[in-house]
Amino acid sequence: MTEFLLTLAILAGINVLLACGFNLILGYGGLVSVAQPVFYAIGAYSSALISMKLGVPVPLAMILGALIAAIASIGLSLPSLRVSGDYLVIASMGFQLGIVHIINNVEITGAASGLSGIVSAVESPSRSMIYAVILMCICAVTIFAIRWLVTGPYGRAITAMRNDEDVFASLGRDAVRIKVTLFAVGSGLAGLAGGLYAHYFLFLTPDQYGIFSSATLLTMVVVGGAATVRGPVLGAIFLTVLPEAIRFLDLPIAVMAPLQGALFTGLVILFLFVKPEGLFGGKAGGGLDAWQGRDTGGSGRKGVK
Amino acid sequence: MDLTLDLAAQLTWTGLASSSSYCLFALAFALVLKVNRIWNFAQAGLMVVAYFAMFIAFRWLGLPPVVGAIFGAVVTILAGMALEYWGFRVLRQRNSSVLTFFIFTIALSQFLIYVAELTFGTDPKTLFPSIIAPVRLIGPVVVSDWDLIALSVTVMLVAALWLFLRKTREGKALIAVSDQPELAEMYGMNKDRAYLVAMALAAILMSAGMYLIGTKAAIFPATPLSQFMIFAVIATIIGGIGNIFAAGVAGVFLALLQSFSILVIASKWQILLLYILIFVVIVLFPQGVTLKFSKRGPARKAGHLPSADDSTEKAP
Amino acid sequence: MNRISASQISRRSILAAPLVLGMPYVIGRAEAQNEPLRFGVADPLTGPSAIFGLDQMQAVRWAVEDINAAGGVNGRKLEAIIVDHQAKPDVGIAVVTRLIQVDKVPAFITAFSNVVKAVAPIANREKALMLSVGANSPDIKNLGDYVYTTFPLADVDMRALGSWLYTKQNKRKAAVLYVNHETGTEGAKVFTAAFKAAGGEVVLNESYEEQRSDFTGLVLKVRAANPDIVHIHSVISDFTAIVAQMRQLGLNTQVTSFQTAFNPKMIQELGKGAEGIIVTAMAPSAEDNANVPKYLERWQAAHKREPIGLPYTQYFHDAPYIMAALFKHVLDQKQPVTGENMRKALLAIRSFDLPLTNRITFNDDHTVNAPTYFWQVKDGKFQVVGKL
Repeated sequence: MTEFLLTLAILAGINVLLACGFNLILGYGGLVSVAQPVFYAIGAYSSALISMKLGVPVPLAMILGALIAAIASIGLSLPSLRVSGDYLVIASMGFQLGIVHIINNVEITGAASGLSGIVSAVESPSRSMIYAVILMCICAVTIFAIRWLVTGPYGRAITAMRNDEDVFASLGRDAVRIKVTLFAVGSGLAGLAGGLYAHYFLFLTPDQYGIFSSATLLTMVVVGGAATVRGPVLGAIFLTVLPEAIRFLDLPIAVMAPLQGALFTGLVILFLFVKPEGLFGGKAGGGLDAWQGRDTGGSGRKGVK
Repeated sequence: MDLTLDLAAQLTWTGLASSSSYCLFALAFALVLKVNRIWNFAQAGLMVVAYFAMFIAFRWLGLPPVVGAIFGAVVTILAGMALEYWGFRVLRQRNSSVLTFFIFTIALSQFLIYVAELTFGTDPKTLFPSIIAPVRLIGPVVVSDWDLIALSVTVMLVAALWLFLRKTREGKALIAVSDQPELAEMYGMNKDRAYLVAMALAAILMSAGMYLIGTKAAIFPATPLSQFMIFAVIATIIGGIGNIFAAGVAGVFLALLQSFSILVIASKWQILLLYILIFVVIVLFPQGVTLKFSKRGPARKAGHLPSADDSTEKAP
Repeated sequence: MNRISASQISRRSILAAPLVLGMPYVIGRAEAQNEPLRFGVADPLTGPSAIFGLDQMQAVRWAVEDINAAGGVNGRKLEAIIVDHQAKPDVGIAVVTRLIQVDKVPAFITAFSNVVKAVAPIANREKALMLSVGANSPDIKNLGDYVYTTFPLADVDMRALGSWLYTKQNKRKAAVLYVNHETGTEGAKVFTAAFKAAGGEVVLNESYEEQRSDFTGLVLKVRAANPDIVHIHSVISDFTAIVAQMRQLGLNTQVTSFQTAFNPKMIQELGKGAEGIIVTAMAPSAEDNANVPKYLERWQAAHKREPIGLPYTQYFHDAPYIMAALFKHVLDQKQPVTGENMRKALLAIRSFDLPLTNRITFNDDHTVNAPTYFWQVKDGKFQVVGKL
């Protein structure tokens, strides 16, 4: 049983990293991209392949995976900065679906059959315990780093940019640079999470990175509370543990999977209407509508009225 | 692979016929985007509703085709209007962000898919027990009854939509509201009513499309979201936001592209074309690729309100 | 200092909790002789492949019931813990991990090549015996010490089909369509190689996504390639969709597939379009196994129809019998029931005589062999037309 709980803790930790990274992009940066899972995938596959084919030691491979993901994010963020709002959502969707499709069809990644035989990060009987501890440390460092980032002067700049980009620009601040940086950091975190996943679970399939996983991530951030530090953390933990808890309820098997799904998405919709600041937002003034009412300018898109 | 005349004729015919449902989905999506100004990813959910309403009609209640199809359309209309009234209107009033709408529509689609899976099971389903329709040879081209039904239904619906938007008062009001909502209100046109009408029209288009799909192949509850929405989205983008019929044309074009591209690229890379297109088009041509020079499509012209400010492209 | 603070009490109770929760296991072990013998079963019970999975589980349940009715294993009841993996690798990993770590099964059965591949490392690491039943990717024989298949892999039936089509059916040009994952890619590879080796030409070799339902482009390509045989290495509903769309385009070419197309529902949906379809099956027909007719009657009595994927259900039906034999061997040797010992039992026994699949012998290289049966749809029913 402990083994199982440790595995759950590891999964939660990975989701925390993912959600925090996503929150940086979405909650703080106001950049509506749904492509986070694709950087998760890039990090995972890069790290796995680098260690498998080039014999690079696992920790280094993970870091490289994160870097590759961060750099890849520039491929999405730079061109997309001409557009925003709904357009960015769609562009990021195309980007994500495209890359996942490539992974799904290319020999080197194992295509749809998946990549197996990945080098494990830790070889020892108490593998899970060691891994869980390492992951907790990484999470802690990440959370504190984010907190430091958003409460400091950089954070104030981000908020200013988010609230009124035109004024921001007129003050001589470079919004583009900040956005690209935020995107890269958030995606890098996702890449790191990917590497951590790959070298523990030792198997990757492109299935895990589709549109449904974007939705799950969004749920974590939304239900937790966007644009807050603790929101995504708690959202990630809550949403990792909940499905497993439901499994223990011993419902008829054929019903379980769609039931979980219906419960989740139902929750999200409920929160959207009843408590948009998320479970744990509120006080810190976070939540989805942190950039409420901001009409994204740019190339003539019609605002949502 | 040699492109003989026979093959080209077959590709064209079958491609056109198959493009019918995609055209309808694109029209529905573009319509809601234009009038309600929402990227309605919940359309996938509504398509699921349409499909299973018809499934119930045909498989459980044993209704004849036309009756069942109308039943499906009615259910979808109600669902679409409910979505607008209790969903979009509320979020609009709160001045909700892009992201909120996105999450809401995607989550709603997923929710409806899961409910469908719970109620009907996760295995693939067709609307009728048999999906084989009679075929005949016209020259070198194989023509099936389904092809004919698909094409005639689509042509009729497109014509009906065009007439409605251009000739009827209600339709013209729709266009007016979509172009200049505040001005339209001043003229006494009701925005909320327009939104409801648009959703109802979209519902009819969607359920027709799903009827065609379901009489040809089996789908999973998740298929509308994982397969069909992409077409609708990209067709709308290519056609140009705000240009409904261009989206329909783009839908047909895309389906044909897929048909003919099999000659040069492997089947598995076809969809990648679409994804790349989405990205490239949005990033380089946010206004739309086709008809860029003409800011007014035929429908727009019909609904043009006299106004000093003719630049309808800028967000108010 | 005798005062115990509230926090100390609560801390103590937290520490004590695992002990208390763990007690039943400790006590249980002492009275183990009355505990049922558990093995795991992971199969798709929801999702696209569920129509196969559900019938397979019925076969498993009947087998377990029959074994228990006949006295169980050394007086102890056999119990199957059935979980749903939706034919998805990541779900498979999650449920198999739970089976091993929480339910503590020493052995488990699973199917579907993509899942089999994903969970193999877990079986090897945790030393739990894994029996793959029905998955046919040739890679399965290389997945590790604890991974065995009871079902012949694609290199048996696809090789047989490839050469049989050339020699016995005089086919010369094949189009090969396959679903884009483990099952499809590997199976198609073997078939293509075999057909070519026999002297045939492969005029089209294309994959498609599993969730696809509109195959217009693919079918048009088949038409353009003009083959005399179309082999479809599919999952389930994709097969029906492709053949339907082929027939709609006036393509009446001979179609072949492997065991997943052994599906009466498919015949119903395709009607006349199903006539002539040839599939391979690895389980004995009624001619070669006297229990098959009774088994089919049981299905009619309970469900008023034939099972979907009949040959697969035959293998699933026999898997609990293998498990029972392994458990018995381990208990007779007075050894603890662990995955390691179950595996040793497998290697010791080697050959199993089973109710619906005759004899299965595990080779050293983790493979099994069985004759390939060729079935063809004639007048709306599957009939045996050949055997290799």
